[in-house]
Amino acid sequence: MNPSLFRLGTTAAWVIALAMMGVAPLAAQNFGPPELIEAARQEGRLVYYTANFTEVEQETIKTFNKRFPFVKVELVRAPGGQLITRVKTEAAAGKLSADIIDHSDRALMTDLVDLFQDYAPPNAADYLPDVMISPKLWPRVTLVWSIAYNAALVKTPPKSWMDLTKPEYANKQIGQVFAASGGTTWTRVMFERQVLGEDYWRKQAATNPVLYPSGAPASEALVRGEVTIAPLLYNIVYPKKRDGAPLEIFFPPEGAPINPYASGVPKTAAHPNAAKLFLNWCLSEEGQTFMIKEQGNLTSLKKAPAYPEGFDPKVVKAWVPNFEQYVKLHHDWVEEWNKTYGFRQ
Amino acid sequence: MSAHGAAFGAEAASLSAVESADYRTRLRNAGRWLLSAALLIVLAFLVLYPVSMLLLGALTNTNPVVDGFGVFDLSLANFTTVLANPNVHLAVANSLIACGGGTALAVVIGLTFSWIVVRTNTPCQRFIGAVSLLPLFAPPLVAAVAWSVLASPRTGLLNTLLASLGVGWRFNAYSMAGLISIFGIYYAPYIYIFTSSALRNMDPALEEAAAISGAGTLRTLATVTFPLIAPAIASGMLLSFVVMLGIYGIPAVLGTPGDIPVLTTYIFKLTNWSPPLYGTAASVALILMAVTAILVWLQQRLLAGRAYITVAGKSFRPAVLDLGGWRYVTLGLAIVYLVIVVVLPTLALVVAAFRKYMFIRDLAGLFDARQYALVHFERLFSNPLALRSIVNTMEVGLITALVGGALAFAIGYTVNRTSLPARRSIDLIATLPVAIPGLVIGVAYLWAWIGLPGGLYGTLWILALAFVARFMPDTVRALSTSLVQIHRELEEASWICGKGVIRTIRTIVLPLARPGVIAAVTLLFILAIRELGSSLFLYTSNTMVMAVLLLDYYEGGNLGITAAFSLVQTVLLGVLIGAAHWLARGSVVDSGVGRAG
Repeated sequence: MNPSLFRLGTTAAWVIALAMMGVAPLAAQNFGPPELIEAARQEGRLVYYTANFTEVEQETIKTFNKRFPFVKVELVRAPGGQLITRVKTEAAAGKLSADIIDHSDRALMTDLVDLFQDYAPPNAADYLPDVMISPKLWPRVTLVWSIAYNAALVKTPPKSWMDLTKPEYANKQIGQVFAASGGTTWTRVMFERQVLGEDYWRKQAATNPVLYPSGAPASEALVRGEVTIAPLLYNIVYPKKRDGAPLEIFFPPEGAPINPYASGVPKTAAHPNAAKLFLNWCLSEEGQTFMIKEQGNLTSLKKAPAYPEGFDPKVVKAWVPNFEQYVKLHHDWVEEWNKTYGFRQ
Repeated sequence: MSAHGAAFGAEAASLSAVESADYRTRLRNAGRWLLSAALLIVLAFLVLYPVSMLLLGALTNTNPVVDGFGVFDLSLANFTTVLANPNVHLAVANSLIACGGGTALAVVIGLTFSWIVVRTNTPCQRFIGAVSLLPLFAPPLVAAVAWSVLASPRTGLLNTLLASLGVGWRFNAYSMAGLISIFGIYYAPYIYIFTSSALRNMDPALEEAAAISGAGTLRTLATVTFPLIAPAIASGMLLSFVVMLGIYGIPAVLGTPGDIPVLTTYIFKLTNWSPPLYGTAASVALILMAVTAILVWLQQRLLAGRAYITVAGKSFRPAVLDLGGWRYVTLGLAIVYLVIVVVLPTLALVVAAFRKYMFIRDLAGLFDARQYALVHFERLFSNPLALRSIVNTMEVGLITALVGGALAFAIGYTVNRTSLPARRSIDLIATLPVAIPGLVIGVAYLWAWIGLPGGLYGTLWILALAFVARFMPDTVRALSTSLVQIHRELEEASWICGKGVIRTIRTIVLPLARPGVIAAVTLLFILAIRELGSSLFLYTSNTMVMAVLLLDYYEGGNLGITAAFSLVQTVLLGVLIGAAHWLARGSVVDSGVGRAG
């Protein structure tokens, strides 16, 4: 049989199979040329390095597999700093096993750009150019900050970022993730100083908040009532609210800091086609819609297909940091933040 | 043959006999050196090579694999920065207070219970002995989460109970007292393990002599019994102190909200920094190593020149003290202990694992059945990684226990029972890893072994080897305690009967040290199953282990799944320990302890 005829036949078979499974046909969205899909099918698997949470990524993989069940995604998850060390060491030893590297700190990823091969999704033109740090790295997920509170305990909830400086929320009612914990928190800290004012940190620190190493323990403490209010990434509190925890979440009117990830395919990828197909799907409208609706993310698409519950773009402006400043200011500002909040480094 | 010739012949024969004896001595010496050299080479690969990577990292601020081994821009900048940093001073002081207090509490609890179980007629001893080891099966991270659920100042279940009873006083797990208590509770079994086997193997003649001389029970305990098992107490104290120094999970969960930084949480912050500061972390780790080295040296000096042989060629049974009516008091004490260390934390985990989310407004809310479901277990097992991580963990545990057990026996025997050359160096090198926090040594293993030919990286073997190295001190110590107690006369009798060293080990030493060997191997298995720090850098997509997945869930902020997975892990461990106990057929499988996490 003619190979291209065979590929066409296989693709048609998949379209029919998926249509029968109730999934929208492939033609409705562009996940890549049939050759890529066929090559991904031949590869059958990919190794996915991510700094995002395991549970969240398992959900993403499961949904991707509804569309493309023939690609087995093997997950390696590590916190940001550790993931970078692993990638650098493996690459230097010639043993990088990742087919995709997905990281929240774009500044750390800029050092690694040479490791990546050229890659762009079919809908590359639909993405905001401001969030790109390299044509090889793409904002697979875009996380957004919100303020959450325990509705069973807070009688008069805050309504804005500035409310978090009020004395009525003093004495360890507020939980804060400390500045140096990673790229997402650094984005929030930059936003606070650049948008809310030079003395915002000082006023907020005066409420004596409880400091947490990451959003995870902070969100759990919020559910349990250890703290009653906390600025948190929407995607970490939204699933808890969805599951019935007594939380309310809002996007403050002064702005919502967003943190796009940087994701790409290394030159050494053993399964480059499967990797590209996975990224194509994640970056597609279907993938982004899933992440917005089910996981509480925003998107870096110019035209958002949806917004998370409570996010009205007419009222709330998404705030993206200037990347040059994001890299340049990090060290000094984090040090200042630590001093202001009495955080011991 | 002439007389002269005969004399010459005899002389030649005696000369050749001398030569042959000389040759045999030299051969034996060469053999002894060869054995020592073999052990040294293995230890160099497992310990010295990764530690030198750590040192290189601390002195150069580089990643040796990325930047090349040729970059030797040596500087003490990391050390001076660390030593001058007041926050490091605070972390060191907090670590010393928390671990010192924890060790003191652990000694009180561990020693009391080993005495109750081994030397008194308190009812249900086997049950008390077995159950009192249970808290060790929960990883420190999980134990801390359980106690934060129970005793956090605002919403802890115990405090909710107190509030409903109208009591104004509150527990506070997020305090130095809370840290010390949890350390003490969770590492008391360490002391228990060491002291109970020593008490069990102790010749009661001296205690009987004290009793005959008119000394009371308490006086005999204080002046005869406890001093006799001093090496076991000291070993237990040293190990529990050093292990506490290296624990991350407990201070991370309880110390962070209370703003009590310790060395491990400080190091974790450094490795998790953006960008990670491994050079600084390695410097802090090397300071920790120096502190430990001093402690080990002190312990050896204190015990030097004193004999603690209590297992000799004659048989005896340890004397059992009839407590009369007091035996119910000791039983009551044991039950209170069990409730505190086993029942309450397990209940907290069960509540967290089965409850949809952990907001409990009041006591009535705790018993609201609508809030309970299997949702966390369903989510856990819908993740294919969960099952794979369980299988991988069991495999790694088994490899570690067998390889590590054999190596630890070789080291323990060489150090304690032979006069092989370089045995002190062997002991010292084997003790070194105890001081290195897992998070830091994990990266040292990665740097050291990733470039090795043969495809070790990406297999379960690299994890197992890291665990063997990391837990060498624990295993060797656990084994040495039983080896030290076997009197030399038993081996000498075997040699006189013409048996060789190997045969003597097989027929005399191993059977006598069986409880110790089984305990050490089981201990290694448990430690390997729980180990987190050194796994973090060495696992790949195919070699995910339970501890890493557990941390993922915790870091993902999902207390419910974390608790559910912890329960699964605890049940698995319980089954395995039961199986080990059955295999040992009556030998006491004293095991546990962990510095994972």
